[in-house]
Amino acid sequence: MKHYILILLVAVVLLPSCMNEPATEPDTPEGNFQALWKIIDTRYCYLDYKHINWDSIYTVYHQQLPSVTTEVSFFDLMGKMLSELKDGHVNLYSDFDESRYWKWFQDYPSNFNSSLLDSARYLGKNYRIAGGLHYNKIDNGRIGYIYYGSFSDAFSDVNVANIMNSFSSCHALIIDVRNNGGGSLNYSEQLASYFFKEKTVTGYIRHKTGNGHSDFSSPVEIVTPTNKNIQWQRPVAILTNRMSFSATNDFVNRMKQAPNAIIVGDRTGGGGGLPLSSELPNGWLVRFSSSPMYDKSMENTEFGINPTIQVALSAADQAKGIDTIIERAIVALK
Amino acid sequence: MNKIILLCWILLSCSILSAQNIEDQPYLLTSKTNTIGLSKLSLIDPYLSPLTYQGNGIEFEHESRRFLSVTNTNVSMQSRLDLEVGYLLNPAQTASMTYLEIKPGWGMQYHFRPMKGLVLLAGGNCDLDFGYKEVIRNINNPGNVDLAINLNLSGAAMYDIPLRKRTLRLQLELETPVIGWMYVPLAGASYYEMFDVGNLSNISHVSSIINRRGIDPKISLDIPFKRSVWQVGFRYRTLKYSANNMVFERNEISLLIGTTFDGIAFGGREKRAPKNFISPN
Repeated sequence: MKHYILILLVAVVLLPSCMNEPATEPDTPEGNFQALWKIIDTRYCYLDYKHINWDSIYTVYHQQLPSVTTEVSFFDLMGKMLSELKDGHVNLYSDFDESRYWKWFQDYPSNFNSSLLDSARYLGKNYRIAGGLHYNKIDNGRIGYIYYGSFSDAFSDVNVANIMNSFSSCHALIIDVRNNGGGSLNYSEQLASYFFKEKTVTGYIRHKTGNGHSDFSSPVEIVTPTNKNIQWQRPVAILTNRMSFSATNDFVNRMKQAPNAIIVGDRTGGGGGLPLSSELPNGWLVRFSSSPMYDKSMENTEFGINPTIQVALSAADQAKGIDTIIERAIVALK
Repeated sequence: MNKIILLCWILLSCSILSAQNIEDQPYLLTSKTNTIGLSKLSLIDPYLSPLTYQGNGIEFEHESRRFLSVTNTNVSMQSRLDLEVGYLLNPAQTASMTYLEIKPGWGMQYHFRPMKGLVLLAGGNCDLDFGYKEVIRNINNPGNVDLAINLNLSGAAMYDIPLRKRTLRLQLELETPVIGWMYVPLAGASYYEMFDVGNLSNISHVSSIINRRGIDPKISLDIPFKRSVWQVGFRYRTLKYSANNMVFERNEISLLIGTTFDGIAFGGREKRAPKNFISPN
């Protein structure tokens, strides 16, 4: 008995050292470079999908490491390496800067002019605000118009119920999510739930399960629920542009399956990978896409979602105070 | 008037009788110890960060112990509640972590008395270990929950050190998890995927000394004063657990101070309870 107790005590004291966590890199330029490269190598979810040779990127940027003399130039080098991923969800955060890749919208027409929305033809100056939703009636009161600028702005069922009540005389609704860079997926789900009669599988999600570039979990269904108390079952148009990104991309993907919905405008900016974050030894934070999200057909949504009706903002219309995309949506909803 | 005298006589008789009952019958005391402590904490949570966060914590611990029955003073039951809050920083001090722990537990121990003044306790307990860690600047993984139910082996040695005026009690307590259940998040998955979408596969794990190991030694000294017994202690806690390709670690050194008293006799060790009052202390 004594032997058993002794063995157990020795095991308890010594065995914790056998369960070792991975060694962390030292807080040196080399150590931080290795840590960042490894985080992306093992946890970023689109290396294979985007055909990125991360090993050769290591070689290219590691060679430049000796020429780095300041913290800022080291940050710039790391940021440049991350921009090879061409992903708006990838950022490096330091105390003095934030690296970013913005070509996913800068290389495309903006298709959005906020001064047009402020005109009396659309939202005007006396629009109402419920939660993060700005709303007014347009087209001589025939269509309800909601502008939602960020999925980080909260709204409640009560907010939406009030908006729907004020639009009771309207035959259709427009939800404008142009220039909405995303936010909470919960708000995306909530907003979509008002347009579904029954819960519907609208996509799938997976996550990295190992260090291999294609080590993923089995796809899990993303279900858009139905809101039992608040429903809009008349036509609805969702307006999009390239800056409709991340959670907005998710909302558009859900609304593509909604019974009375159409998507009008430009292809969304994408951002289909749910981002997570990690840290480097020097305390910088790195954000990266970790869990790829798919549409109903298991197609990746990282590069955006095509609209039902592709339409661009014309310069001639803008000069006349007309938002081409809103007008096209009005026609489509008639 | 007669009725009032009669009523008073009956009440007086009852109180005398009940006093006699208390003196005649053994009565179990509950020994309670409340301590507060300051601790140095070190946490590794790879779900939140690969870096080791270090900082300080404040803790409160309540422990009560009572013999199981008046006829058997060899087995005592113990209940405990640990509360702790901590504030930690990453090595570069660019991010902070807030830590909260709540740990209620219940157990039983057998008392061996190999020699005068020495009591050895051996047994086990079951505890619920709940912790919450938050690194607010993280994106989509700003917090993580520690949740485990553990069956622990526990032991203690109590040794009375008689001095000229008082008797000190030196205690060494030891505890280690043996088997249980624990929740571990999926590495690489957000809480949105796990709890909103409902991908709960592989978050629930049986724990054993294979994947969850720790030891929790505490040494303390009870010092009786005129009206109270004070306890000072030192504790080292280390815990490592592993699942879903992640290894979590918590190390803690604490200095503790508190009081210990019996549930009925609040007079400290010098004011002894009547002989028929049985204290596990």
